[in-house]
Amino acid sequence: MRYSDAADYVIDNPDRGEFLVHRDVYSDPDLFEEELRNVFEGTWVFLCLDSQIPQPHDFYCTRIGRRSVIVSRDGDGAVHCFYNTCRHRGATLCHTEHGNRKVHVCDYHGWSYDSGGRNVDIKDQETGCYRSAFGGEDHDLVSVPRLDSYRGFIFASLNADVPPLEEHLGDARTCLDLIVDQGPDGMELVPGRTNYTYDANWKLQLDNGSDSYHLTSTHRSFMRIVHRRAEGKSANTQVKSPDFQKRFDMPAGMFTFDRGHSMIWADHPVPENKPLSGTMGRVRTHAGEVRAKWMLRTRNTTIFPNLQFNDSTSLVLRTITPLAVGRTEMQVYSFGPVGEPAELRRRRVRQHEDFFNVSGLATPDDTLCYADCQDGYYNLSGDWLQGFQRGMAVVTHGPNDPARELGINPATSVLGKYSMQNEMAFHAAYLEWVRLMTLGRARDQRLAAE
Amino acid sequence: MDDSARLADGIRLLSREARYLDERQWDDWLGLYLEDAEFWAPAWRDDDTLTEDVNREISLFYFESRGGLEDRVWRIRSGQSPALTPMPRTTHLVTNTVLDEGAEAGAMTLHSAWSCHVYSLRDKSQHVFFGRYRHDLVYADGAWRIRRKKIVLMNDYIPGMIDVFCV
Repeated sequence: MRYSDAADYVIDNPDRGEFLVHRDVYSDPDLFEEELRNVFEGTWVFLCLDSQIPQPHDFYCTRIGRRSVIVSRDGDGAVHCFYNTCRHRGATLCHTEHGNRKVHVCDYHGWSYDSGGRNVDIKDQETGCYRSAFGGEDHDLVSVPRLDSYRGFIFASLNADVPPLEEHLGDARTCLDLIVDQGPDGMELVPGRTNYTYDANWKLQLDNGSDSYHLTSTHRSFMRIVHRRAEGKSANTQVKSPDFQKRFDMPAGMFTFDRGHSMIWADHPVPENKPLSGTMGRVRTHAGEVRAKWMLRTRNTTIFPNLQFNDSTSLVLRTITPLAVGRTEMQVYSFGPVGEPAELRRRRVRQHEDFFNVSGLATPDDTLCYADCQDGYYNLSGDWLQGFQRGMAVVTHGPNDPARELGINPATSVLGKYSMQNEMAFHAAYLEWVRLMTLGRARDQRLAAE
Repeated sequence: MDDSARLADGIRLLSREARYLDERQWDDWLGLYLEDAEFWAPAWRDDDTLTEDVNREISLFYFESRGGLEDRVWRIRSGQSPALTPMPRTTHLVTNTVLDEGAEAGAMTLHSAWSCHVYSLRDKSQHVFFGRYRHDLVYADGAWRIRRKKIVLMNDYIPGMIDVFCV
């Protein structure tokens, strides 16, 4: 059965300490179609980094949910975002992930567009016997309704009716600041991409990105390998990985923000293992003592719905693209400061490969567990998931002391030991999901009535 | 040793490596590698170029010694990795092997095409990874062994799992 009220898919009852999510949220194909329209085409979605298109005429092809778009910097340096489809017969215009083109020419009938999306040539227009008004009409690429950036992160919205980006991000901006400010001279993607798919709903990654509870079970083999290395039982000495078992008694917590964003954090058992620790002098001057301290903590940040960072051993940037109700595409990059000293960059690269890569010692264990969950949702629908409860008894509405230290005003906060492995950060995404799905359904009803 | 005899030796080693992987003879597989052997699969930087600097760019696999491979074998044997339980079945095909001319005595460089069929028992799915190998071999203690292996993976759109035994 389907609930006509989207809010019925999430039971949020703080007074009774209940937060339950209905399994169909991950497995109902009709809900997935609604998500594409109401979530991915209903709010701000991360596209790419400013530094991925640094020069005039640089472009980057990506997707907003199911929509293919071109992000392009024009000759004057302004950034644009167009639907990746020719105005003539609709063919996909660009098939390369990124590059530099003054002119995009359609393979089919040769219509051409400059890097600002303006139509600059309609092949054989003069012999085409077009009616006289044709030349004066708009043949330019269709821009997306909203495009903006925050500190080098470019976002777009296919829904014009959204607040300004900074308002949408709210105090989650500070979580992004804690990433960007690690590079006093800027941040860059480390060359070398990893693209992979997994056979489960996009929200499995969204949750896993702030899930500290699975580490000791899903990643048992990784943790034991790290332990073996520390004991000198492995001949592999090229990676410095901290023993995360040690952090169980250390302080940890999380913040959620309006509009689905969240951050979990924990003190780092061996902060000097982080490549960042080697450049902390300048970072402290650049960002201040308090923020510098927070940068050395492990922090997993989710910017709803498609951008995640995991800053534990090294810093990873992940984007999530839904392909089908039970299939998702991931793009994963190592992210580091511009001008990082060679030895620190080498450490960053090795740590990324060891843990985060799809060819690493952890990610494949995650993706297969996501698929197991997806199978479970098909197997038994109509039940409520119990995976949103850890930390329920200690959640604070509004800021706690760590939040005040950072100067942020989160919707909810948790502070405790890492061993709580709290599941409270997940809530933000599902509350935002309900909000966007409810808005979308109201919009659909309005349109149907007109 | 003339080139054709050397090439025949090299092809025998490549075939043995494929067999050891597919038959899960992990110790025999590791034994083909020198202790300080380099194992490298660069990532793609973009549609047309591979990463080149292992210290400043990401690789799919980069091990500066056999220790990196030994970690992987330990993990396979641990039975504690969901991705490797049950262990996927593989079949490697290695072909079109050519030898670089003019090698020194006791050394050779081989270039091959490879594919690896992977059957995942967990979800009954199958996938073919494919690409090219470069093997640098040395003759030591009466046998050819691998000093360096470079793997180019052509289809780097990866269905959830890839490991050293899939390439």
